[in-house]
Amino acid sequence: MEIFAALASVLGDPVLLGWVFLAAIVGMIVGAIPGLTASAAIAMLLPLTFYMEPLPALAFLYVIGKSGRYGGSIAAILFNTPGTAASAATQLDGYPLARQGKAGKAMKVATISSVIGDFTGEILLIVGVAWIATIALKLGPPELFAVYFAAFIVIGSVIGKSVTRGLASAALGVLVAMIGLDPISSTERFTFGSFDLTNGISLVPLMIGIFVLGEVFAQIEERGKTTEMVPDGDDAARNGLTWAEYRPCIPHVIRSSFIGSFIGMLPGLGSAIAAFVAYGEGKRRAKNPDDWGKGALEGVAAPEAANNAVSGPSMAPLLTLGIPGSTIGAILIGVFLIHGIQIGPTLFLTSRDLVFALFACGLIGIVMYGIIGYYGAAFVGRFITRIPTKVLYPVIFLTSFVAAYTSRGNLFDVYVMVAAGFLGWLMRKLDFNPAAFVISFVLAGGAEEAFRQALLLSDNGLMIFVTRPIALLFLLIGLAALAVRVRSLNRQARAVALEDA
Amino acid sequence: MSAGPTPASRTVAVALILLGVGATFTSMNIALDQYGRWGARIFPLAGSLSLVALGVAEWWGARGRPASPALNRAHLPAIAALLALAIAYVWVMAQFGYLISTAIAAPIALWIFGVRNVIGLCAAAVLCPAIYHLVFFELLGVFPPLGRWFDLLDVFGGY
Repeated sequence: MEIFAALASVLGDPVLLGWVFLAAIVGMIVGAIPGLTASAAIAMLLPLTFYMEPLPALAFLYVIGKSGRYGGSIAAILFNTPGTAASAATQLDGYPLARQGKAGKAMKVATISSVIGDFTGEILLIVGVAWIATIALKLGPPELFAVYFAAFIVIGSVIGKSVTRGLASAALGVLVAMIGLDPISSTERFTFGSFDLTNGISLVPLMIGIFVLGEVFAQIEERGKTTEMVPDGDDAARNGLTWAEYRPCIPHVIRSSFIGSFIGMLPGLGSAIAAFVAYGEGKRRAKNPDDWGKGALEGVAAPEAANNAVSGPSMAPLLTLGIPGSTIGAILIGVFLIHGIQIGPTLFLTSRDLVFALFACGLIGIVMYGIIGYYGAAFVGRFITRIPTKVLYPVIFLTSFVAAYTSRGNLFDVYVMVAAGFLGWLMRKLDFNPAAFVISFVLAGGAEEAFRQALLLSDNGLMIFVTRPIALLFLLIGLAALAVRVRSLNRQARAVALEDA
Repeated sequence: MSAGPTPASRTVAVALILLGVGATFTSMNIALDQYGRWGARIFPLAGSLSLVALGVAEWWGARGRPASPALNRAHLPAIAALLALAIAYVWVMAQFGYLISTAIAAPIALWIFGVRNVIGLCAAAVLCPAIYHLVFFELLGVFPPLGRWFDLLDVFGGY
């Protein structure tokens, strides 16, 4: 078992452990700050990792993603503001518990459930990913293009409140990725005579703009609002957690961990959907459904286990097919590329040790944020209330400029970052989908390559995608996902219209 | 934030259609390869036509609906100010280097976010460029953006 060798190797490297520890703390703090997400932190810190070895760089950002998902629960419980979209479901029961003086108990439940969920997802990833990669190696260009097509449709249509705007975000991402020279014929596309544009749009400034500067623009609208913390309670009896109290949560945690892991494997769905599905399913099966929403510990355990279980499996499509399942995955592609590592099925042939060492860092990171969170979540909450947002966001604003410049030492990239930042804010404002935009931007190059290779292989043009059964299957999955989503949104719209009437 | 799906909007539909039509024309101007094949055009064209189709779908969804409520404009001046600051910051960076541009941008950004303490703003003008310069350009060894017209680093003799 390679994972044990990798664990031994990572545990014997104190510098690497130091990076993992730092990532556990940074992720938790960033995740707990309302408005800031782990994606934003990773995008901003990405240029710093150019100067690191590949494994510490990847481990640092990967663990920030994990602990950031967990950190969101701190804000959800203590501030009644989800730190991340994924922790919005935790808020439903976490905040009522805090109002009852049981914030400490709720945070302990959130921590244990997050750790169990994250471990489940990570172990499923470790066990399954090499197997998926073996299958992925057998896929030809037509099948790969069909997988990309399904990913575009799912990412564009499933997240967000509008199918047309989600798909338009994905189409915009494809168009922006086309800027520059055609990789096969070197023909200029969308360059408008600009020399800077012939090099194309770089991923790093685009992501910093969308996720970091876009959030700074959004935070202007929140100026003057203060974050108030519910007292976390010093009463040991109310805030200690006993086995008898946690035992009813265990079935919910196990079920939610598998729900989160399954949803994590599907590109684009992400933690927020996993958390709400797990919460709904938990409430449906609960012995005390009437208590849910009023301060049930199970109502904290279920979404927390699910949203953290997403983390590991969301790496599966990234590592095996080069398709990022989440925004964090899209950003990690940047790290792999910067360090000259080709992701996709061949990754397990060329960099197998690195991948297993990364998984080992993930497991160690879970233990670290679990321990820090169990004993220190309330301290993190108090620390965040002391950070003045009117100073924090200008500092983030300035950091985004230097981070964008650092990626290639080019001021054009900084202009790209500014444009992407404004676009990111506008997209959020108009209910477009920035995550679909960025993921499609990342996918477009691979999809185009697979499409054109497939056409070269074909004697019947586009018919190759229909005559190959696996390719056809993925095309149908994409279309079915779109149809289901349109139907579900129409039903919701009718329900809202009836309520209004 | 409403719990329901976002209602379709004619304004968004028109914007998508215009963007898609513009991108379609630009895509059609992409040169064919030496064998006259459309290879380099296919994806840009697919993306552009998708935008047009999605714009039409958005318009179709907006039929018979009242006009969408206007966006909250209360914060638009601050957002416009921040956008102007961002563009000006990069331009000044190109002309006067990183130190001077950051010394100007840091207090303005803080002011836009509501900091009114003069000592704090002055401290930011000095500390922000110094700290960022030390971390990124000294410790990490990134080559700084030097000013085309003037750069403080010339005075300090660093570069």
